[in-house]
Amino acid sequence: MEIVQAMMGRINYIGAAVLFVIGLYTVLTHPNLIKKVIGINIMETAVFLLMVSVGYVTGADSPILELTKEQTMRGPYVNPLPTAMILTGIVVAVSITAYSLSLIIKIYEVYGTIELDEIMELRGDQSID
Amino acid sequence: MAAVIIPLTVKELNLRSRVIIITPLLGAWGMMLYTFINVLRHGSYLYNIGNWGPKIGIQFNIDLFSTFMSLFILSLSLLIIIYSLRVIEHEIYSPQIPVYYSLLFLLILGMVGITITNDLFNTYVFMEILAITSCSIISIKRYKENYLAAYKYLILNTLGSLSFLFGVALLYMVTGYLNFGEIYIRINEVWTLYSTNLLLALGLMVTGLAIKAAVFPLHIWLPDAHSSAPTPSSALLSGLVVKVYIFTAMKLLYRAIGFSIVDAIHIPRFITYLAVSGIIMGSVFAIGQKDIKRLLAYSSVAQIGYIVLGFGIGTEQGLSAAMFHVITHGLMKTLLFLSAGAIIFKTGKRDIRTFQGLGYKMPVTMILFTVGALGMIGIPGLNGFMSKWYLGFAVLEINQPIYLVIMLFSSFLNAMYYMPIIITAFLMGNDDKKEEMHVEDLPRTMLIPMATIAFLCIVTGFFPQLIMNIVQRAVPTFL
Repeated sequence: MEIVQAMMGRINYIGAAVLFVIGLYTVLTHPNLIKKVIGINIMETAVFLLMVSVGYVTGADSPILELTKEQTMRGPYVNPLPTAMILTGIVVAVSITAYSLSLIIKIYEVYGTIELDEIMELRGDQSID
Repeated sequence: MAAVIIPLTVKELNLRSRVIIITPLLGAWGMMLYTFINVLRHGSYLYNIGNWGPKIGIQFNIDLFSTFMSLFILSLSLLIIIYSLRVIEHEIYSPQIPVYYSLLFLLILGMVGITITNDLFNTYVFMEILAITSCSIISIKRYKENYLAAYKYLILNTLGSLSFLFGVALLYMVTGYLNFGEIYIRINEVWTLYSTNLLLALGLMVTGLAIKAAVFPLHIWLPDAHSSAPTPSSALLSGLVVKVYIFTAMKLLYRAIGFSIVDAIHIPRFITYLAVSGIIMGSVFAIGQKDIKRLLAYSSVAQIGYIVLGFGIGTEQGLSAAMFHVITHGLMKTLLFLSAGAIIFKTGKRDIRTFQGLGYKMPVTMILFTVGALGMIGIPGLNGFMSKWYLGFAVLEINQPIYLVIMLFSSFLNAMYYMPIIITAFLMGNDDKKEEMHVEDLPRTMLIPMATIAFLCIVTGFFPQLIMNIVQRAVPTFL
């Protein structure tokens, strides 16, 4: 019972780890190139979830001064620093997704397929080694 | 001043603008030289961006190591860009040439930034800049294999960055700071309280950096990427970009975490095992290759194994040998790639079985290639020999002579795939028509960078103290 409670208290971190592994599995096993990109996005979501939930303080206020028109700073605030860093991370993730999708379009124009095993058969002579 | 400002050049549409391309790079190089001499005289300093202070702001660490490596990055990129001004119009689609140079400048910005920074998240940002620009300079050439190689490189690079960011988040969770110096102050109490978290974070970060630095089992993107890219990008990628991640690992493991903890979890030992397997297997794979650029790419895997071996030894001599080999391998591999590019530019041949008689048609290029190849094998008189010498001493210092045996064996393997090229080019000429050796008419902008790099190779081979003095002053800042 206690371990379930300990897990429920930290469900954010466990969720982040599980999502990371799911994303990694998707990238490594699916032969379809777009599914790999989706796997990368799932992994990115996991990492952002972890980072944002690091800054969360249980039962604290949002980090905005003068939220309720009082002049003093009340109690603990949620740490805004990880959230700011994740904004940068989200931008990076979006740009990598955009770039990889455009590469997939070009690969489709050249090879006619976006399944990796069919592309490897088409390449034939240049071995993987 | 922190000379990290490499501007994005104006997008010129025609090739009269070579002056515009070279001038900012020369300016940045001059500024970095000035900073380096400044640091040599007055000692290192930390530079806070916007004067926010180390606890909440981003900080740059301008010390001897970072300025020296940034000077090296800038000088090598200057030489490669001078070389590329002539060769680039044969390789990429012409209206995209200005885009290519913008990407190259962003790449140099990323590399200099990641060397200088003292902040973990800033490292991640620069790593992403490097990921996108280095994939773009591969895929800007519109051949079939470029797209797939760039896609593979991008996915693996992103895997590495995400695993690194996961580790950063875990590290932030327990220490609350992202600055290397601040983490180092708090790391000992963290190690006693949260050792599992620290172990997981370090494992993820080292794995992420190892994917990007092409350490052995995770190197699979490197042959395709470096062999299909246009020649200046191959030289830049193989000579500089993969090394920057090793610098990051050095800074992370030795400055943020501190050597005593790292040794307690036996990270250096595992790194040396991986490095040794990379040294052997990289050369083994290279022997069977027929395409010259693919051969050079596999040889890069083996040489990066040397650098990681020096890094994993963990003593002061090991680190200085690794840094020396970073510089020498950068010089030699750039020279090899540039001369291979000159051969492709002039004759269009990429298969090494068709190189007969090339020594008579292009003697200058083949002589430069021979200088680079002999340096890679480790012939005395060139800088490759000196770096193997220092690495050998470092290995003997920790009483593991088996690594020395492996290094000698891999020198033999290196000879097995470099010597056939040299022999085919010079000695197997056509017997029926006696060709005289005439100096070929390679454009001067291509010859001068190659000759400069070859000259530097020979000079540092005879006088390694020029570099080792600075390296040995920079290394104690780590330990």
